[in-house]
Amino acid sequence: MDGFRGVMVVVVAVALGLSTIAAPASAAIVGTEQMLSQNTARQDVDTFLARAEVQEQLQAWGVDAADAQRRVATLTPDELQMLNAQIDELPAGAGALEVIGVVFLVLLILELVGVTNVFSAI
Amino acid sequence: MLLGACAGPETRHLREQTQAVELAAVPFHPQDEYQCGPAALATLLGADGLAVSPDELVPEIYVPARQGSLQAEIVAAVRRRGRVPYVLAPHIEAALTELHDGRPVLLLQNLGTRALPVWHYAVIVGFDPQTQTFVLRSGRERRQELSARRLLESWDRAGRWMLVTASPGEPPASAQAGPWLRAASAFESLGAFEPAAAAYRAATRRWPDTAMAWTALGNVLAQQADWPQAYDAYEQALANGDDGPLLRNNRAWVLAQMGCRDAAMDEIDTGLSAATPAQRATLGDTRAQIRALQSDAVCSR
Repeated sequence: MDGFRGVMVVVVAVALGLSTIAAPASAAIVGTEQMLSQNTARQDVDTFLARAEVQEQLQAWGVDAADAQRRVATLTPDELQMLNAQIDELPAGAGALEVIGVVFLVLLILELVGVTNVFSAI
Repeated sequence: MLLGACAGPETRHLREQTQAVELAAVPFHPQDEYQCGPAALATLLGADGLAVSPDELVPEIYVPARQGSLQAEIVAAVRRRGRVPYVLAPHIEAALTELHDGRPVLLLQNLGTRALPVWHYAVIVGFDPQTQTFVLRSGRERRQELSARRLLESWDRAGRWMLVTASPGEPPASAQAGPWLRAASAFESLGAFEPAAAAYRAATRRWPDTAMAWTALGNVLAQQADWPQAYDAYEQALANGDDGPLLRNNRAWVLAQMGCRDAAMDEIDTGLSAATPAQRATLGDTRAQIRALQSDAVCSR
Protein backbone atom coordinates (compact mmCIF):
# COMPACT_ATOMS: atom_id res chain seq x y z
CA MET A 1 0.00 0.00 0.00
CA ASP A 2 1.51 3.33 -0.92
CA GLY A 3 1.48 5.60 2.09
CA PHE A 4 -1.09 8.32 2.39
CA ARG A 5 -3.36 7.05 -0.36
CA GLY A 6 -3.55 3.65 1.26
CA VAL A 7 -4.32 5.18 4.62
CA MET A 8 -7.08 7.27 3.08
CA VAL A 9 -8.62 4.20 1.51
CA VAL A 10 -8.87 2.65 4.93
CA VAL A 11 -10.17 5.80 6.58
CA VAL A 12 -12.84 6.26 3.94
CA ALA A 13 -13.74 2.60 4.03
CA VAL A 14 -14.17 2.73 7.80
CA ALA A 15 -16.23 5.90 7.51
CA LEU A 16 -18.55 4.24 5.03
CA GLY A 17 -18.89 1.19 7.19
CA LEU A 18 -17.59 -1.03 4.45
CA SER A 19 -16.59 -3.90 6.62
CA THR A 20 -19.17 -6.29 5.26
CA ILE A 21 -17.59 -9.45 6.55
CA ALA A 22 -20.11 -11.19 8.73
CA ALA A 23 -19.64 -10.51 12.40
CA PRO A 24 -19.00 -13.95 13.82
CA ALA A 25 -21.93 -15.14 15.90
CA SER A 26 -19.44 -16.89 18.11
CA ALA A 27 -16.18 -15.03 18.31
CA ALA A 28 -14.23 -17.99 19.66
CA ILE A 29 -15.16 -20.38 16.85
CA VAL A 30 -12.46 -20.82 14.20
CA GLY A 31 -14.21 -20.92 10.83
CA THR A 32 -13.87 -23.73 8.32
CA GLU A 33 -12.14 -21.66 5.67
CA GLN A 34 -9.47 -20.67 8.13
CA MET A 35 -9.09 -24.29 9.31
CA LEU A 36 -8.61 -25.44 5.72
CA SER A 37 -6.14 -22.73 4.80
CA GLN A 38 -2.64 -22.92 6.20
CA ASN A 39 -2.69 -19.32 7.26
CA THR A 40 -4.25 -19.67 10.70
CA ALA A 41 -2.55 -16.53 11.96
CA ARG A 42 -4.51 -14.36 9.55
CA GLN A 43 -5.82 -11.18 11.07
CA ASP A 44 -9.12 -9.53 10.28
CA VAL A 45 -7.24 -6.35 9.53
CA ASP A 46 -5.33 -8.11 6.71
CA THR A 47 -8.62 -9.08 5.11
CA PHE A 48 -9.92 -5.58 5.57
CA LEU A 49 -6.91 -4.04 3.86
CA ALA A 50 -6.94 -6.58 1.04
CA ARG A 51 -10.61 -5.86 0.41
CA ALA A 52 -9.96 -2.11 0.21
CA GLU A 53 -7.04 -2.58 -2.17
CA VAL A 54 -8.83 -5.00 -4.50
CA GLN A 55 -11.79 -2.64 -4.62
CA GLU A 56 -9.47 0.25 -5.45
CA GLN A 57 -7.85 -1.78 -8.24
CA LEU A 58 -11.21 -2.74 -9.76
CA GLN A 59 -12.24 0.92 -9.77
CA ALA A 60 -8.94 1.89 -11.36
CA TRP A 61 -9.75 -0.64 -14.08
CA GLY A 62 -13.05 1.04 -14.82
CA VAL A 63 -15.50 -0.82 -12.59
CA ASP A 64 -18.23 1.45 -11.20
CA ALA A 65 -17.52 2.33 -7.54
CA ALA A 66 -20.77 0.91 -6.16
CA ASP A 67 -20.33 -2.27 -8.22
CA ALA A 68 -16.74 -2.67 -7.04
CA GLN A 69 -17.88 -2.36 -3.45
CA ARG A 70 -20.56 -5.00 -3.92
CA ARG A 71 -18.13 -7.28 -5.72
CA VAL A 72 -15.43 -7.31 -3.06
CA ALA A 73 -18.07 -7.76 -0.36
CA THR A 74 -18.74 -11.29 -1.60
CA LEU A 75 -15.12 -12.41 -1.83
CA THR A 76 -13.76 -14.47 1.05
CA PRO A 77 -10.64 -13.61 3.06
CA ASP A 78 -8.63 -16.24 1.15
CA GLU A 79 -9.84 -14.97 -2.21
CA LEU A 80 -9.07 -11.37 -1.30
CA GLN A 81 -5.55 -12.23 -0.17
CA MET A 82 -4.95 -14.13 -3.40
CA LEU A 83 -6.36 -11.36 -5.59
CA ASN A 84 -4.53 -8.65 -3.74
CA ALA A 85 -1.23 -10.49 -4.13
CA GLN A 86 -1.49 -11.26 -7.85
CA ILE A 87 -4.35 -9.39 -9.50
CA ASP A 88 -2.05 -7.96 -12.19
CA GLU A 89 -0.84 -11.35 -13.36
CA LEU A 90 -4.13 -13.21 -13.20
CA PRO A 91 -5.80 -14.16 -16.45
CA ALA A 92 -8.89 -12.20 -17.38
CA GLY A 93 -10.71 -14.31 -19.91
CA ALA A 94 -11.84 -12.13 -22.75
CA GLY A 95 -11.71 -13.40 -26.27
CA ALA A 96 -9.54 -12.95 -29.28
CA LEU A 97 -10.68 -9.48 -30.29
CA GLU A 98 -8.12 -7.61 -28.25
CA VAL A 99 -5.14 -8.94 -30.15
CA ILE A 100 -3.24 -6.10 -31.76
CA GLY A 101 -0.18 -5.24 -33.81
CA VAL A 102 2.90 -7.41 -33.50
CA VAL A 103 1.07 -9.80 -31.26
CA PHE A 104 -1.46 -10.21 -34.03
CA LEU A 105 1.20 -11.07 -36.59
CA VAL A 106 2.98 -13.54 -34.32
CA LEU A 107 -0.26 -15.26 -33.44
CA LEU A 108 -1.34 -15.30 -37.08
CA ILE A 109 1.86 -17.12 -38.04
CA LEU A 110 1.47 -19.55 -35.15
CA GLU A 111 -2.10 -20.08 -36.23
CA LEU A 112 -1.09 -20.85 -39.79
CA VAL A 113 1.45 -23.40 -38.66
CA GLY A 114 -1.17 -24.93 -36.39
CA VAL A 115 0.18 -24.11 -32.94
CA THR A 116 -2.67 -21.92 -31.76
CA ASN A 117 -6.29 -21.44 -32.71
CA VAL A 118 -7.12 -17.91 -31.73
CA PHE A 119 -8.79 -16.96 -34.95
CA SER A 120 -10.80 -20.04 -35.54
CA ALA A 121 -12.17 -19.78 -32.03
CA ILE A 122 -13.55 -16.27 -32.03
CA MET B 1 4.78 -25.65 -28.08
CA LEU B 2 3.21 -29.07 -28.14
CA LEU B 3 1.61 -30.49 -25.10
CA GLY B 4 3.93 -31.38 -22.28
CA ALA B 5 4.48 -34.94 -21.18
CA CYS B 6 1.76 -34.62 -18.57
CA ALA B 7 -0.91 -34.38 -21.27
CA GLY B 8 -0.30 -37.97 -22.34
CA PRO B 9 -2.69 -39.49 -19.82
CA GLU B 10 -5.35 -36.95 -20.81
CA THR B 11 -5.16 -37.90 -24.49
CA ARG B 12 -5.16 -41.57 -23.62
CA HIS B 13 -8.18 -41.16 -21.41
CA LEU B 14 -10.10 -39.47 -24.21
CA ARG B 15 -9.19 -42.25 -26.65
CA GLU B 16 -10.53 -44.84 -24.20
CA GLN B 17 -13.98 -43.22 -24.17
CA THR B 18 -16.72 -45.11 -25.93
CA GLN B 19 -19.86 -43.10 -25.26
CA ALA B 20 -20.66 -39.82 -26.92
CA VAL B 21 -22.38 -37.14 -24.87
CA GLU B 22 -23.92 -33.82 -25.79
CA LEU B 23 -26.05 -31.61 -23.57
CA ALA B 24 -28.04 -30.09 -26.40
CA ALA B 25 -30.45 -28.26 -24.09
CA VAL B 26 -27.75 -26.01 -22.61
CA PRO B 27 -28.70 -22.45 -23.58
CA PHE B 28 -26.50 -20.19 -25.64
CA HIS B 29 -25.64 -16.54 -25.10
CA PRO B 30 -23.50 -15.13 -27.89
CA GLN B 31 -20.68 -12.97 -26.63
CA ASP B 32 -20.58 -9.18 -27.12
CA GLU B 33 -17.22 -7.54 -27.66
CA TYR B 34 -14.83 -8.92 -25.05
CA GLN B 35 -17.46 -10.21 -22.74
CA CYS B 36 -16.99 -13.94 -22.97
CA GLY B 37 -16.98 -14.20 -19.17
CA PRO B 38 -20.56 -12.97 -18.73
CA ALA B 39 -21.69 -14.97 -21.78
CA ALA B 40 -20.11 -18.22 -20.61
CA LEU B 41 -21.33 -17.78 -17.04
CA ALA B 42 -24.89 -17.00 -18.21
CA THR B 43 -24.74 -20.23 -20.21
CA LEU B 44 -23.56 -22.24 -17.21
CA LEU B 45 -26.14 -20.75 -14.84
CA GLY B 46 -28.91 -21.17 -17.39
CA ALA B 47 -28.15 -24.87 -17.58
CA ASP B 48 -28.55 -24.99 -13.78
CA GLY B 49 -32.02 -23.48 -13.95
CA LEU B 50 -31.02 -19.86 -13.29
CA ALA B 51 -32.10 -17.58 -16.11
CA VAL B 52 -29.54 -14.77 -16.11
CA SER B 53 -28.57 -12.62 -19.08
CA PRO B 54 -24.92 -11.76 -19.82
CA ASP B 55 -25.85 -8.08 -19.47
CA GLU B 56 -26.91 -8.66 -15.88
CA LEU B 57 -23.55 -10.27 -15.17
CA VAL B 58 -21.42 -7.51 -16.69
CA PRO B 59 -21.54 -5.24 -13.59
CA GLU B 60 -20.71 -8.29 -11.45
CA ILE B 61 -17.78 -9.85 -13.25
CA TYR B 62 -16.54 -7.68 -16.12
CA VAL B 63 -13.38 -5.60 -15.73
CA PRO B 64 -13.37 -2.94 -18.46
CA ALA B 65 -9.67 -2.08 -18.53
CA ARG B 66 -8.70 -5.75 -18.54
CA GLN B 67 -11.37 -6.48 -21.13
CA GLY B 68 -12.18 -9.67 -19.34
CA SER B 69 -13.31 -11.41 -16.17
CA LEU B 70 -11.34 -12.77 -13.23
CA GLN B 71 -11.84 -16.37 -12.13
CA ALA B 72 -12.39 -15.38 -8.49
CA GLU B 73 -15.19 -13.02 -9.49
CA ILE B 74 -16.89 -15.70 -11.58
CA VAL B 75 -16.76 -17.95 -8.53
CA ALA B 76 -18.29 -15.20 -6.37
CA ALA B 77 -21.06 -14.54 -8.89
CA VAL B 78 -22.07 -18.22 -8.77
CA ARG B 79 -22.19 -18.07 -4.97
CA ARG B 80 -24.37 -14.97 -5.00
CA ARG B 81 -27.00 -17.10 -6.72
CA GLY B 82 -26.90 -19.75 -4.01
CA ARG B 83 -24.99 -22.33 -6.05
CA VAL B 84 -21.69 -23.87 -5.06
CA PRO B 85 -18.95 -23.00 -7.58
CA TYR B 86 -16.91 -26.19 -7.77
CA VAL B 87 -13.52 -26.08 -9.48
CA LEU B 88 -12.86 -29.46 -11.06
CA ALA B 89 -9.71 -31.51 -10.54
CA PRO B 90 -7.18 -30.61 -13.27
CA HIS B 91 -7.86 -33.74 -15.31
CA ILE B 92 -10.08 -33.95 -18.37
CA GLU B 93 -11.59 -37.09 -16.88
CA ALA B 94 -13.40 -34.85 -14.38
CA ALA B 95 -15.02 -32.89 -17.21
CA LEU B 96 -16.22 -36.08 -18.89
CA THR B 97 -17.66 -37.35 -15.61
CA GLU B 98 -19.63 -34.12 -15.25
CA LEU B 99 -20.84 -34.13 -18.85
CA HIS B 100 -22.11 -37.68 -18.49
CA ASP B 101 -23.84 -36.59 -15.29
CA GLY B 102 -25.58 -33.78 -17.17
CA ARG B 103 -23.46 -30.84 -16.05
CA PRO B 104 -21.83 -28.50 -18.59
CA VAL B 105 -18.31 -27.34 -17.73
CA LEU B 106 -17.04 -23.78 -17.91
CA LEU B 107 -13.37 -23.67 -18.80
CA LEU B 108 -10.65 -21.09 -19.17
CA GLN B 109 -8.68 -21.36 -22.39
CA ASN B 110 -5.48 -19.70 -23.46
CA LEU B 111 -5.93 -19.46 -27.22
CA GLY B 112 -2.53 -17.83 -27.68
CA THR B 113 0.79 -19.02 -26.32
CA ARG B 114 2.23 -18.96 -22.83
CA ALA B 115 4.24 -15.84 -23.68
CA LEU B 116 1.39 -14.17 -25.59
CA PRO B 117 -1.72 -15.34 -23.78
CA VAL B 118 -5.18 -14.78 -25.20
CA TRP B 119 -7.62 -15.72 -22.46
CA HIS B 120 -11.08 -17.00 -23.24
CA TYR B 121 -13.97 -18.59 -21.35
CA ALA B 122 -16.18 -21.17 -23.02
CA VAL B 123 -18.55 -23.92 -21.92
CA ILE B 124 -18.00 -27.58 -22.81
CA VAL B 125 -21.32 -29.27 -23.56
CA GLY B 126 -20.26 -32.45 -25.33
CA PHE B 127 -17.64 -34.91 -26.45
CA ASP B 128 -17.60 -37.37 -29.33
CA PRO B 129 -15.03 -40.16 -28.89
CA GLN B 130 -15.45 -41.31 -32.49
CA THR B 131 -14.07 -38.07 -33.88
CA GLN B 132 -12.20 -37.03 -30.71
CA THR B 133 -14.06 -33.73 -30.80
CA PHE B 134 -15.44 -31.53 -28.05
CA VAL B 135 -18.57 -29.43 -28.47
CA LEU B 136 -18.55 -25.97 -26.90
CA ARG B 137 -20.72 -22.91 -26.49
CA SER B 138 -18.04 -20.36 -27.30
CA GLY B 139 -17.93 -16.72 -28.35
CA ARG B 140 -20.50 -16.27 -31.08
CA GLU B 141 -20.70 -19.97 -31.94
CA ARG B 142 -23.60 -21.91 -30.55
CA ARG B 143 -22.00 -25.21 -31.42
CA GLN B 144 -18.28 -25.05 -31.81
CA GLU B 145 -16.54 -28.32 -32.57
CA LEU B 146 -12.99 -28.36 -31.31
CA SER B 147 -10.52 -31.22 -31.66
CA ALA B 148 -9.44 -32.84 -28.41
CA ARG B 149 -5.86 -31.84 -29.17
CA ARG B 150 -6.78 -28.16 -29.53
CA LEU B 151 -8.92 -28.16 -26.44
CA LEU B 152 -6.33 -29.91 -24.27
CA GLU B 153 -3.62 -27.51 -25.43
CA SER B 154 -5.61 -24.35 -24.75
CA TRP B 155 -6.80 -25.73 -21.41
CA ASP B 156 -3.34 -26.82 -20.32
CA ARG B 157 -1.91 -23.40 -21.23
CA ALA B 158 -4.57 -21.76 -19.05
CA GLY B 159 -3.78 -23.75 -15.92
CA ARG B 160 -6.44 -26.44 -16.43
CA TRP B 161 -9.18 -24.43 -14.77
CA MET B 162 -12.72 -25.83 -15.07
CA LEU B 163 -15.83 -24.94 -13.11
CA VAL B 164 -19.26 -26.44 -12.58
CA THR B 165 -22.18 -25.22 -10.50
CA ALA B 166 -24.00 -27.40 -7.97
CA SER B 167 -26.83 -27.05 -5.50
CA PRO B 168 -25.44 -27.04 -1.95
CA GLY B 169 -27.19 -30.32 -1.17
CA GLU B 170 -25.78 -32.13 -4.18
CA PRO B 171 -22.00 -32.33 -4.70
CA PRO B 172 -21.11 -32.91 -8.37
CA ALA B 173 -20.30 -36.43 -9.53
CA SER B 174 -16.54 -35.86 -9.69
CA ALA B 175 -16.35 -33.89 -6.44
CA GLN B 176 -13.84 -34.75 -3.76
CA ALA B 177 -14.38 -34.05 -0.07
CA GLY B 178 -11.58 -31.50 0.46
CA PRO B 179 -12.30 -29.22 -2.50
CA TRP B 180 -16.06 -29.45 -1.91
CA LEU B 181 -15.70 -28.41 1.73
CA ARG B 182 -13.39 -25.58 0.72
CA ALA B 183 -15.89 -24.33 -1.86
CA ALA B 184 -18.70 -24.52 0.68
CA SER B 185 -16.64 -22.83 3.40
CA ALA B 186 -16.77 -19.59 1.40
CA PHE B 187 -20.49 -19.34 2.22
CA GLU B 188 -19.70 -19.76 5.91
CA SER B 189 -16.98 -17.10 5.79
CA LEU B 190 -19.42 -14.67 4.21
CA GLY B 191 -22.10 -15.36 6.79
CA ALA B 192 -24.36 -17.37 4.45
CA PHE B 193 -24.85 -20.18 6.95
CA GLU B 194 -27.82 -21.93 5.30
CA PRO B 195 -26.08 -22.93 2.04
CA ALA B 196 -22.90 -23.75 3.98
CA ALA B 197 -24.78 -26.07 6.34
CA ALA B 198 -26.60 -27.75 3.45
CA ALA B 199 -23.31 -28.34 1.63
CA TYR B 200 -21.59 -29.71 4.74
CA ARG B 201 -24.52 -32.01 5.49
CA ALA B 202 -24.33 -33.29 1.93
CA ALA B 203 -20.61 -33.90 2.50
CA THR B 204 -21.28 -35.94 5.65
CA ARG B 205 -23.68 -38.10 3.64
CA ARG B 206 -21.34 -38.55 0.69
CA TRP B 207 -18.09 -38.90 2.69
CA PRO B 208 -19.22 -40.00 6.18
CA ASP B 209 -15.70 -41.12 7.14
CA THR B 210 -14.19 -37.72 6.39
CA ALA B 211 -13.73 -36.04 9.76
CA MET B 212 -13.44 -32.56 8.23
CA ALA B 213 -16.99 -32.78 6.86
CA TRP B 214 -18.27 -33.23 10.43
CA THR B 215 -15.95 -30.56 11.78
CA ALA B 216 -17.21 -28.10 9.15
CA LEU B 217 -20.82 -28.95 9.96
CA GLY B 218 -20.09 -28.38 13.65
CA ASN B 219 -18.48 -25.05 12.85
CA VAL B 220 -21.44 -23.67 10.95
CA LEU B 221 -23.90 -24.91 13.58
CA ALA B 222 -21.82 -23.34 16.32
CA GLN B 223 -21.83 -20.04 14.47
CA GLN B 224 -25.61 -20.27 14.47
CA ALA B 225 -25.52 -20.95 18.24
CA ASP B 226 -27.02 -24.41 17.75
CA TRP B 227 -24.83 -25.84 20.52
CA PRO B 228 -26.23 -29.38 20.98
CA GLN B 229 -26.18 -30.12 17.27
CA ALA B 230 -22.73 -28.61 16.89
CA TYR B 231 -21.58 -30.81 19.78
CA ASP B 232 -22.95 -33.93 18.04
CA ALA B 233 -21.19 -33.02 14.81
CA TYR B 234 -17.88 -32.52 16.65
CA GLU B 235 -18.35 -35.91 18.32
CA GLN B 236 -18.54 -37.45 14.83
CA ALA B 237 -15.44 -35.52 13.82
CA LEU B 238 -13.54 -36.90 16.81
CA ALA B 239 -14.80 -40.42 16.10
CA ASN B 240 -13.46 -40.10 12.58
CA GLY B 241 -10.03 -39.04 13.68
CA ASP B 242 -9.95 -35.23 13.82
CA ASP B 243 -8.25 -34.30 17.06
CA GLY B 244 -6.59 -31.11 15.86
CA PRO B 245 -6.15 -28.15 18.22
CA LEU B 246 -8.60 -26.01 16.23
CA LEU B 247 -11.33 -28.62 16.58
CA ARG B 248 -10.55 -28.75 20.32
CA ASN B 249 -10.83 -24.98 20.42
CA ASN B 250 -14.26 -24.95 18.82
CA ARG B 251 -15.50 -27.93 20.78
CA ALA B 252 -14.37 -26.30 24.01
CA TRP B 253 -16.39 -23.19 23.18
CA VAL B 254 -19.48 -25.26 22.42
CA LEU B 255 -19.07 -27.16 25.70
CA ALA B 256 -18.75 -23.91 27.60
CA GLN B 257 -21.90 -22.56 25.98
CA MET B 258 -23.70 -25.74 27.02
CA GLY B 259 -22.73 -25.06 30.62
CA CYS B 260 -20.04 -27.76 30.75
CA ARG B 261 -17.29 -25.50 31.94
CA ASP B 262 -14.96 -28.10 33.43
CA ALA B 263 -15.11 -30.22 30.31
CA ALA B 264 -14.51 -27.10 28.24
CA MET B 265 -11.38 -26.22 30.22
CA ASP B 266 -10.09 -29.78 29.85
CA GLU B 267 -10.77 -29.63 26.16
CA ILE B 268 -8.98 -26.34 25.59
CA ASP B 269 -5.97 -27.54 27.60
CA THR B 270 -5.82 -30.72 25.51
CA GLY B 271 -5.81 -28.53 22.44
CA LEU B 272 -3.16 -26.19 23.83
CA SER B 273 -0.81 -29.08 24.51
CA ALA B 274 -0.74 -29.91 20.79
CA ALA B 275 -1.06 -26.39 19.34
CA THR B 276 1.43 -24.70 17.05
CA PRO B 277 2.69 -21.28 18.13
CA ALA B 278 0.19 -19.55 15.82
CA GLN B 279 -2.67 -21.68 17.16
CA ARG B 280 -1.66 -21.05 20.77
CA ALA B 281 -2.77 -17.44 20.49
CA THR B 282 -6.20 -18.47 19.24
CA LEU B 283 -6.66 -21.15 21.87
CA GLY B 284 -5.34 -18.84 24.58
CA ASP B 285 -7.99 -16.25 23.67
CA THR B 286 -10.71 -18.88 23.77
CA ARG B 287 -9.49 -20.11 27.15
CA ALA B 288 -9.77 -16.59 28.54
CA GLN B 289 -13.25 -16.20 27.06
CA ILE B 290 -14.38 -19.51 28.58
CA ARG B 291 -13.15 -18.39 32.01
CA ALA B 292 -15.07 -15.14 31.65
CA LEU B 293 -18.22 -16.72 30.26
CA GLN B 294 -21.37 -16.32 32.33
CA SER B 295 -23.66 -19.14 31.32
CA ASP B 296 -26.88 -20.22 32.96
CA ALA B 297 -26.98 -23.45 30.99
CA VAL B 298 -26.87 -26.62 33.05
CA CYS B 299 -24.42 -29.07 31.60
CA SER B 300 -26.13 -31.97 29.93
CA ARG B 301 -24.74 -33.96 27.07
